[in-house]
Amino acid sequence: MEFAWTAEQEEYRKRVRTALDELLPDDWDERYVPESYASDLQVEFSRDFCAGLAERGLLVPHWPKQYGGNGADDWCHFILNEEMKAAGEPRGPQYMNINWIGPTLMTFGSEAQKEQHLKGIASGRVIWCQGFSEPNAGTDLAALRTRAERVGDHYIVNGSKIWTSYARTADWCFMLVRTGPGKKDITVLLTPMNAPGISVTSFPGLIKDGHLNEVFFTDVKIPVVNRVGEEGQGWKIVTHALSFERVGVPRYHTGLQALHLAVEQLREEGRYDNDPVIQTRVGALASKFEAARLLTYLVVDQRVKKSEANTDSNLSRITSLEATTDLMNFLGDVFPNGLAGGNVLLEDYYRINIPAGITGGTNEIQLDLIAQRGLGLPRSK
Amino acid sequence: MDFHLTEDQQALVSALQSILQDHGELPQGERLSYAYHHSGLQALLKASGFFDAAREMGALEAALIVIEAARLPVLVETGASALVAPMLLPANEGVDGPVALIAGRDLDKAHRNLPIATTALIDLGDDVVVLPVAAGAIETVKSVLAFPYGRFRRAPDLGAGRRIAGAGPKLRQWWRVAIAAEAAGAADSAVNFTVEYVKQRHVFGRAVGSFQSVQHRLVQCHAIARATYYMALRAAWSGESVHADMAACYVQQNVGRLLFDLHQFHGGMGVTTEHLLHFWTYRVRALQAEVGGVNDAARSVATKLWPAPTVAQQGRLVQAR
Ligand SMILES: Cc1cc2nc3c(=O)[nH]c(=O)nc-3n(C[C@H](O)[C@H](O)[C@H](O)COP(=O)(O)OP(=O)(O)OC[C@H]3O[C@@H](n4cnc5c(N)ncnc54)[C@H](O)[C@@H]3O)c2cc1C
Repeated sequence: MEFAWTAEQEEYRKRVRTALDELLPDDWDERYVPESYASDLQVEFSRDFCAGLAERGLLVPHWPKQYGGNGADDWCHFILNEEMKAAGEPRGPQYMNINWIGPTLMTFGSEAQKEQHLKGIASGRVIWCQGFSEPNAGTDLAALRTRAERVGDHYIVNGSKIWTSYARTADWCFMLVRTGPGKKDITVLLTPMNAPGISVTSFPGLIKDGHLNEVFFTDVKIPVVNRVGEEGQGWKIVTHALSFERVGVPRYHTGLQALHLAVEQLREEGRYDNDPVIQTRVGALASKFEAARLLTYLVVDQRVKKSEANTDSNLSRITSLEATTDLMNFLGDVFPNGLAGGNVLLEDYYRINIPAGITGGTNEIQLDLIAQRGLGLPRSK
Repeated sequence: MDFHLTEDQQALVSALQSILQDHGELPQGERLSYAYHHSGLQALLKASGFFDAAREMGALEAALIVIEAARLPVLVETGASALVAPMLLPANEGVDGPVALIAGRDLDKAHRNLPIATTALIDLGDDVVVLPVAAGAIETVKSVLAFPYGRFRRAPDLGAGRRIAGAGPKLRQWWRVAIAAEAAGAADSAVNFTVEYVKQRHVFGRAVGSFQSVQHRLVQCHAIARATYYMALRAAWSGESVHADMAACYVQQNVGRLLFDLHQFHGGMGVTTEHLLHFWTYRVRALQAEVGGVNDAARSVATKLWPAPTVAQQGRLVQAR
C-alpha cells in the first residue's frame, strides 16, 4: 500500500494547473462561476477553453494515440478531473464527451462515426448533451417512450426528453429511443440538435438558469447511419457508457474547497478562531470529505489495475454525497444570508449540489446496488 | 497511490489470519461474557513476532495486525502493544505487553485493558510516563464494554515510571490511529455478522435483509467500516498527525450510527450477550470517547488544516473588516 503521488503525477498536476492559469480569464471566479456550469456563458466558453486544453495535450490524454490521446493512465485522467472540478469545471459539458461519449463510440461506433465525432470531441469545440431521461422514465429508464420508427434509411423520431442539461447549446445529443415494444427495445441515436422538428424549452429551478430543459421531437428525421451499434443494443451500450462514470465526480475536492472558503469567510467575520463549536464541525466535515477522497482513490486504483467493477464506486458516491449534504447544512447553519446575496462561490457550491443525490444514478439506487451486489442481500420485493 | 496490499503485507495478513482462525475460538464458557481477553492467543502472537512488525516492517503493517485482530470476538491487545508503543518508544526500548493507554487527567477512573496490562502509557499532556503495572495494583470494574476495565487501587506513583518529555502529541497521534484500526476491524465484523443475520431471519415470509430500509442503513454502516479501514491505514502509512486525527474523527462521529442500526436489525437478539454482536459493537463504543473523542479530534483537524492566523495576519483581518 502506498498513499502518495509519484513525482510524475505531481508534475502532471502542475501542468494542468499551469494550463488553467493560462486559459481561464481573470474574471473567471467573479463572472463565470456564479453563472454556473450549465449556463450558456460557460458552455460557450468551454469551446475555447477545451480547444486550448487540446492544444496542450490535456483534453483527451487518456485516449489511445490513434484518436488523438497519448495513452495516459487513469490516475492522470483523474488528476485532470480533480483539477478541473476544483476550478469550477471550465470544460462545461465536454467532460461527458471525454469521459464516456468518446470512449463509447470507440467501442460501438461505426468507422464514419469515429472519424467524425472522435475528431470533433478531441478538437474541444463540440458540445454534446445526454438524452436519456423522460418525464416518465428517470430511475426506471427502461420505461422511456420516445419512439424511432424506421422509414427507409431514416428513423422518424417523436417524443420528448427532460432534464437534458446543455440541450440549449448542444450540437449533438447522445440519445436513447425506443425501437420496439419490448422493455429492452432501446437504441442509441446520435442526433444533431439542429435537425428540423427539435425544440428546446428551459424552465426555472433551484440550480441556476439553463440547467433544466425539456426537448421535444416532432417527426425528426435521423439517418440510420447515426445509429450506434444495432437496434436494441441501447441498453448494453448505455451500461458500458456508464461504467466509465464509475469514479463519478470528485466531490470531496470541491467540498474541501468550499469548506475552506467558509472558514475564510467566518474568520473574516470574526466568528471562527474563538468558536470551538464551529471548529469542531469544520474538522468533522473535513474528515468526512477525507473518507470520501480515500474511497474515490480506491476506485481509481482498481480501475488502473483493471480489476473488475464492484460496488466500491457506489460506496464512494454515497460517502461523498453525505459529506456534501453535511456541508450544505453547515453553510445553512452559519450563514443566514448564504443564499441571499452572500458569498457567490459558496452559493454556487450550494446550488449546484442541490441535485447531488439525483444525477448520475440516485442515492437510493446506489444504496440498492451496494446492498444487493456488494453485501449479497436479497432483492426487495 | 496503491490501495492493494504488497505481497509481504498480504503474507503477513494471511499468516496472522490463519493463527487467529486456529487459536482465536471463544471458549463456550465465555459466550455470555461482556469481554474475553484471550491470553493464550496474546502470548502466541507475541511469540510469533507480530508485535515486532511496527519496527521491522512499518506502522502500516502494525495497523493491519490491529485491524485483523479486532475482527475476532475474543480480545487480543494489539493496538497499544503492536502499534502505539513501538511507534512512541525509542527503537532499543521494548515494552512488556499488554499495554494500557491512559489519559493522565482521568488517572483515578477506570481504563480500558488496565486489568490485563503489564505496562501503562500515561498521557500527561506534554509528557508521557511509561509505568510498569504491578500485579494486584488494579481492581477490575464491571462494564458492558467489550474490553476489560480496571482502575488503580491506589494513585500510582508516576515517579516510578520513566518520563518521556514531549511525547504527548505523538502518543495521542498513534493512539488515534490505533482507535481507527481497531474500530475498522470490529465494525467490519459487526456489519458482516449483521448481514448474515438479516439474510437468515425471516419475518412476514421474507428475509429481514430484503427490506429496503434495512438494506440502506446497513450499507451506510458498511461504508463507515470500509472508509475507516483506509483512513486508519493511510494515517499509519503517512505518520502525519492530521491523518490520525481525521481517521479517529471520522469513525468516532459514526459510532452512534453503527451501534443503533446494527443492534436494531437483530431485534431482541441484539440485546442478549449470547449473540456475539456486542463483542464488536461495544468495542467500538469503548473507543468513542478516547483521546478526547470526536470533538477533540475534529478540532485538532480544523486547527491543523486552518491554523489560527499569526498576529500579523490578524492585523490584516481586522483592517479588512
Ligand atoms: C440537475 C439535473 C441534471 C440532469 N441532467 C440530465 C441529463 O443531462 N440527461 C439525462 O438524461 N438526464 C438528466 N437528469 C435526469 C436524472 O438522471 C434523473 O432525474 C434521475 O435518473 C432520477 O429520475 P427522476 O427524476 O425521474 O426521479 P424518479 O425516478 O421519479 O425518482 C424519485 C425518487 O424515487 C426514488 N426511487 C426510484 N426508484 C426507487 C427504488 N426502486 N427504490 C427506492 N427509491 C426509488 C429515487 O431514488 C428518487 O429519490 C438530470 C437531473 C437533474 C436533477
